[in-house]
Amino acid sequence: MIFAHFLTDSNESNAFLLACETSGEALLVDAGAFEPAIKAFLDSHQLTLSAVFITHGHYDHTDGLDAIIARYHPRIYAGRTPCAGHEATVAQHGDRIVVGALNGTVLATPGHTPEGISLYIEGMVFTGDALFAGSVGGTSSEANARQQREAIQAHIFSLPPETEIHTGHGPSSVVSVERQFNPFFVE
Amino acid sequence: MTDFTVLAIENRDALIEALRAGRGKGAVLRGVDLSGCDLEGVDLSEARLSGADLKDINFAHANLRGAFLDWANLRSACLAGACMEFAVLGAADLSEADCTGADLRRANLVGVKAQRTIFRDVRMYYARPGNGDFREAVFSGADIQRAIFRRANLAGADLQGATGTANFDRANLEGALR
Repeated sequence: MIFAHFLTDSNESNAFLLACETSGEALLVDAGAFEPAIKAFLDSHQLTLSAVFITHGHYDHTDGLDAIIARYHPRIYAGRTPCAGHEATVAQHGDRIVVGALNGTVLATPGHTPEGISLYIEGMVFTGDALFAGSVGGTSSEANARQQREAIQAHIFSLPPETEIHTGHGPSSVVSVERQFNPFFVE
Repeated sequence: MTDFTVLAIENRDALIEALRAGRGKGAVLRGVDLSGCDLEGVDLSEARLSGADLKDINFAHANLRGAFLDWANLRSACLAGACMEFAVLGAADLSEADCTGADLRRANLVGVKAQRTIFRDVRMYYARPGNGDFREAVFSGADIQRAIFRRANLAGADLQGATGTANFDRANLEGALR
């Protein structure tokens, strides 16, 4: 598997690219901006961007979609459609996302947004703004905050402890660290 | 780019030689014992070193950008001038390590053990040191803008001369010098 991380200029959001070395197909997780570095990476590795997974519909995770769709025409997976004005395949908890030999599972992580989803694939989980290293995404009510905590505990913290967590902003983490030390879950 | 090359080198000296020769980028070296090694200036960016024994290692000016060092033993390590932007150091033991002048921007320091660790003149913009143990650590001259010290233990820490606005929500600052 090929893996790359990009820090975008769109509110310092992260974007991640995973690719199947056999088929040359690539999956982009979140699209806050279509950074030149993403295109350069795809070109230099002769990859085809065949799918984009959107963790939630905020601008800093979707503003690059226009340019990406115009250039690559990938499948768009999101928690609801339309996503930032684009037709998307609605991905629900338990759905499979297949890109070449890469095989992922969609996890529901609502709270930060109602349609928030995460992707568990190849020993990694991409959580968008639901879970950060040492923090959680902002919510608009205590009910939403509780929903987010419960989803994270049920669907993220139940993953194998060595699972890498790649987040929408800031550094990555691992399940064992967040489960034991994330201040929002430890009293 | 990470290609997750497993450096299947059983001989410790050969492994050190390979790392010094520039084969460490993106390497998978979970749980490896490199304690006491001199790896000044090596490129281990995006490497997987989770749970590694790196006690007393010399990582001065090393490139550890985006490396996974969670649960690693880095006690008394020299990390002066190292690049650790986006590095995952969660739950690592950095006690009495020297991080002088290191780049810790956007680094994950969640739950880290960093008693008496030297963070003098480090850049910690947007770092995540929540729930870490920083008792008697030295942050003089550090840039801690937007760092999130939520629930961190900073008892007796020296924050004099640190610049920027950080989040100390529920942190223990008893006896800290500010």
